[in-house]
Amino acid sequence: MKRLLGTGVALAIALLGAAAPALAHHSLQSEYDINQSITLKGTVTKVDWVNPHVYVYLDVKDDKGAVTKWAVTTLPPGNLRRGGLTRDLLGYGETVSILAFRARDGANLAFLRTITFADGHKLEIWLGDASKENP
Amino acid sequence: MTKLFIVAGLALAIAAPPAFAQRGRGAGAGGADANAAAAAKPTPRAPDGHPDLTGVWGGAAEPVKALAPGESTRILFPVRTNPEDKRIFDEMDLAAKERQAAEPNKPPYKPELASKVQLLSDKRQFNDPSFYCKPLGVPRMGPPSQVVQTPGLVVLLYQGRNTFRTVPTDNRPHNADADWTWNGDSVGRWDGDTLVIDTTRLVEDSWLGADGWFHSNKMHVVERLTRKGDTLTWTATVDDPGVFTKPWEMTPRTQRLNPNPRALLEEDPPCLEQDGPHIVTDDHH
Repeated sequence: MKRLLGTGVALAIALLGAAAPALAHHSLQSEYDINQSITLKGTVTKVDWVNPHVYVYLDVKDDKGAVTKWAVTTLPPGNLRRGGLTRDLLGYGETVSILAFRARDGANLAFLRTITFADGHKLEIWLGDASKENP
Repeated sequence: MTKLFIVAGLALAIAAPPAFAQRGRGAGAGGADANAAAAAKPTPRAPDGHPDLTGVWGGAAEPVKALAPGESTRILFPVRTNPEDKRIFDEMDLAAKERQAAEPNKPPYKPELASKVQLLSDKRQFNDPSFYCKPLGVPRMGPPSQVVQTPGLVVLLYQGRNTFRTVPTDNRPHNADADWTWNGDSVGRWDGDTLVIDTTRLVEDSWLGADGWFHSNKMHVVERLTRKGDTLTWTATVDDPGVFTKPWEMTPRTQRLNPNPRALLEEDPPCLEQDGPHIVTDDHH
């Protein structure tokens, strides 16, 4: 199933960052607050594999069972695909824990950093230069 | 559980994104040397004697493998700072502003329009049509991702936004009844070994670049595609007496033929803008 792309048909994926200009879309600073990190635990109800940003939608239940709906956004689909991710790897239907940074306007919206799955595997989709990390 | 780290650069190494390529960095991996080697190869010709531009231009030879289910990964969008830096969002904006300031080839706007361009640039997050999923249009979308050349007709395909153009090369004039569109009405002719594409009837809704580079409906674009060996060089002259003091030569871009003869373009996912209502400041790239 998920291997549809692995059969050699997908020569093209590598082609052309022509997809949306990578993150030329808008400033993250203008929309998200890096000082407001949030951990969301919930069920992925939808993955929107769209330009200019992929969206993951989440139902988060509180202690009393009340559900809050969250949207978490990340890089453009072309960037994810070039990193080996496909839409079916983003956890649709699964219970996950997401580390993200909240929207400044207070909406239930955040910019993704890490998805951790029930089996412990993690997808980190972020920004920066790894060579500048502290050892 | 396997750990697989995809470090900065891989995500973008395969093809320079248009935002960079528009600034003349479109040669991709290998740069000038690889372009020179590709250009030294023989130039194939069509039965009519013209160079055959047919092919997929740019991109990598090998397909990207999808991760296995349960496999961990790390994808870092290249930003020149430590991933833990709390200023990383600011850093992205700063780097983009530096690129903008260093842009050596700005359109020659009439002096009285400078303040308008600046204002549009400052507020680009709200004004750039491409941010809101409108087409890039001619000439902003640059060189084609694939060319299919037949006698009398050249088809140009652009992976971004799944775009096509048909360019007749049978000496017909412009279509006087054509509607005004984002890619306009194009006709082609051969000038020696160069395909010259003349485009008119371009709507004024598009921009020429993200820095507030607007234009009028008087814009007339002449693109030139020249194949040398396994390279394709795209140039564009933009004439817009409505806003420019003289025609503007865009920065040329050279693409290499995709080394995989079986390479295919892939459908670009749809564009669905959902951020605009949540943008609360004027910060921009």
